[in-house]
Amino acid sequence: MTEESHRRYIPDGQDNLYDTHKCRVLRVYKQTEMDKVFLFRFVDQEVGKNWKFKPGQFVELSLPGIGEVPISICSSAMRIGFFQLCIRKAGRVTTKIHELKPGDIVGIRGPYGNGFPMEKFFGRNLLLVAAGLGMAPLRSVFLYAIDNRWRFGDITIINSAKYERELLFARELEAMRDIAEAENIQIIQTVTREDSPNRLKGRASEHLDKVMIDPKNSTVALCGPPRMYKSMFEKLVEMNYDPRRIFVTLERRMKCGIGKCGHCNLGNSTSWKYACIDGPVFDYYDIISTPGMLE
Amino acid sequence: MRYVKLKKEKIREFLLALQDYGELYAPIKVSEKYFDFRRITNEQVDEVVLDYNRTLRPPRRFFFPEKEVLFTFNSKKVEMYENKEAFTSEPVVLFGVHACDIVGLRIMDSRFIDDQPDPYYRARREKGIIIGISCLPDEYCFCNVRRAEFVDSGFDLFLSEVEDGYVIRVGSVKGHKIIDATEHLYVKVTKKDSDDLTAFDVKKSKMFTVSGNWDSLRYTLELNDEHPVIWMRESEKCLGCGNCTITCPTCRCYDVKDYPNLDGETGVRVRIWDSCQFREHGLVAGGHNFRPTKESRFKNRYMCKNAYCKEVTTAYCVGCGRCTYFCPAGINYKQNLIEIRGGI
Repeated sequence: MTEESHRRYIPDGQDNLYDTHKCRVLRVYKQTEMDKVFLFRFVDQEVGKNWKFKPGQFVELSLPGIGEVPISICSSAMRIGFFQLCIRKAGRVTTKIHELKPGDIVGIRGPYGNGFPMEKFFGRNLLLVAAGLGMAPLRSVFLYAIDNRWRFGDITIINSAKYERELLFARELEAMRDIAEAENIQIIQTVTREDSPNRLKGRASEHLDKVMIDPKNSTVALCGPPRMYKSMFEKLVEMNYDPRRIFVTLERRMKCGIGKCGHCNLGNSTSWKYACIDGPVFDYYDIISTPGMLE
Repeated sequence: MRYVKLKKEKIREFLLALQDYGELYAPIKVSEKYFDFRRITNEQVDEVVLDYNRTLRPPRRFFFPEKEVLFTFNSKKVEMYENKEAFTSEPVVLFGVHACDIVGLRIMDSRFIDDQPDPYYRARREKGIIIGISCLPDEYCFCNVRRAEFVDSGFDLFLSEVEDGYVIRVGSVKGHKIIDATEHLYVKVTKKDSDDLTAFDVKKSKMFTVSGNWDSLRYTLELNDEHPVIWMRESEKCLGCGNCTITCPTCRCYDVKDYPNLDGETGVRVRIWDSCQFREHGLVAGGHNFRPTKESRFKNRYMCKNAYCKEVTTAYCVGCGRCTYFCPAGINYKQNLIEIRGGI
């Protein structure tokens, strides 16, 4: 909770914390009917060179005149100068973002949040469980793990969605299969509400028995809708995963990203937290001391 | 340490002198029941009320306005231009702030001037001048159990009432400079004044309807998280109007909105006070609401207000009584806390 790796992340000196850096859209990839992946580069190359983030962190994407939204970074933290955001068309601002074309400019500030404490994951097996849009932040963790393959034990990733057509990064994961096999990485993709020829059927938690990694020496990162967390947690503990090594990342309404606007608050009077600066990644001790985190 | 004494008949002159340091605001009576901090010019000096109970709007609004333009923007160029108003405006001189409200401002500071400081708030706050005044509690006050009935920092000058005037304590360099410039208004503090201060404190402490220390309330609230009666019964009364959060001296939630101009190109990015009592507060894109029921929002406020502010070492609630005093539904916050605690 308060260890080094979980300390607040402070972005590099900016005169006005609410001011944004200009970023150019380089490419737009259509993921699903609702989701697009955008590749961005900083207009000011100097800013881009020094701009670093940790897997699990998010940025505030700003379209002046429309508004600002918090979005998880979904690309590898090892690539400098570029980053990708996977954005679902869900509200007013994201609808407008979906109209962006290569060459368009947006405002970016961040990165914010604590991110996953990756150095705690080193030397252990890694289990990633994503449901729905949860694949976006976990892709960042996954790509980071692949880029630093020697630091990790066996890796398993479970990607799930309601329908085949909503399964994020499904083709990318499919294309990786050969490399994954050579690198001892297991990829499980499952859809819950329909039968799909190439996919497993059922929730992510139903396929935990197929996971090949040894639970004893593993770290787990979960990202999905809140209702998935509780059942997943119980199942994992039952399977001998160390609860202290299970991390979740939470979604909340956020306006500022720096612990001011108050929308992302959670917890009770002795465990008052802001998801944007105390999270969005929380560990076991946060979960047991903060009611409502898994709801 | 530096103490001087201001005789009652010199108050007027003192207020007039304060105008040299910026825009003077002081409590005046705005309606039959309510007081508020208002701009004081030469003509209004006599309207200033020194023994008011509480102001309608909390002092934080001078540093964190209800509505504030953060940026003007050009949406075609995707550029934002910082609004310089907060940096260039006249300093605010706030006269007659109660101890609880000064603690409230320090709590605001702990969130807005942290390791990632809010530039607008900081600019206003750093040049502002806070002049506190001692007060006597009414039946709504419970600052004593919140450890906010006395302050040691967060003000430039603090006026403590004695029999024939006020003992002024200097709390900052700015305070020293004001006293230096108005030296002719003051007399020396005597032993009698010191005794008067003690007598005032004794009188004050006897007037509170609750006593002790409510720090442990944090625990009892959590232990009664599932209280069978109180949350449901009280939140049923709630209208969800947000009065309690707007009048609260430590509430700081805000929403950010972009208002484009009709030219379709320029516009302003504005921040507006928000309230956790509004349904939209916990709503995320896609329709999920993290605080969907009135009960959950009601409970959220109680938990937030009783959380621990480690920089000020008190709860976020300072016991000013505003949320009860101004509640249109008659929800008694203090009484509810007593009920949850199971006694005074």
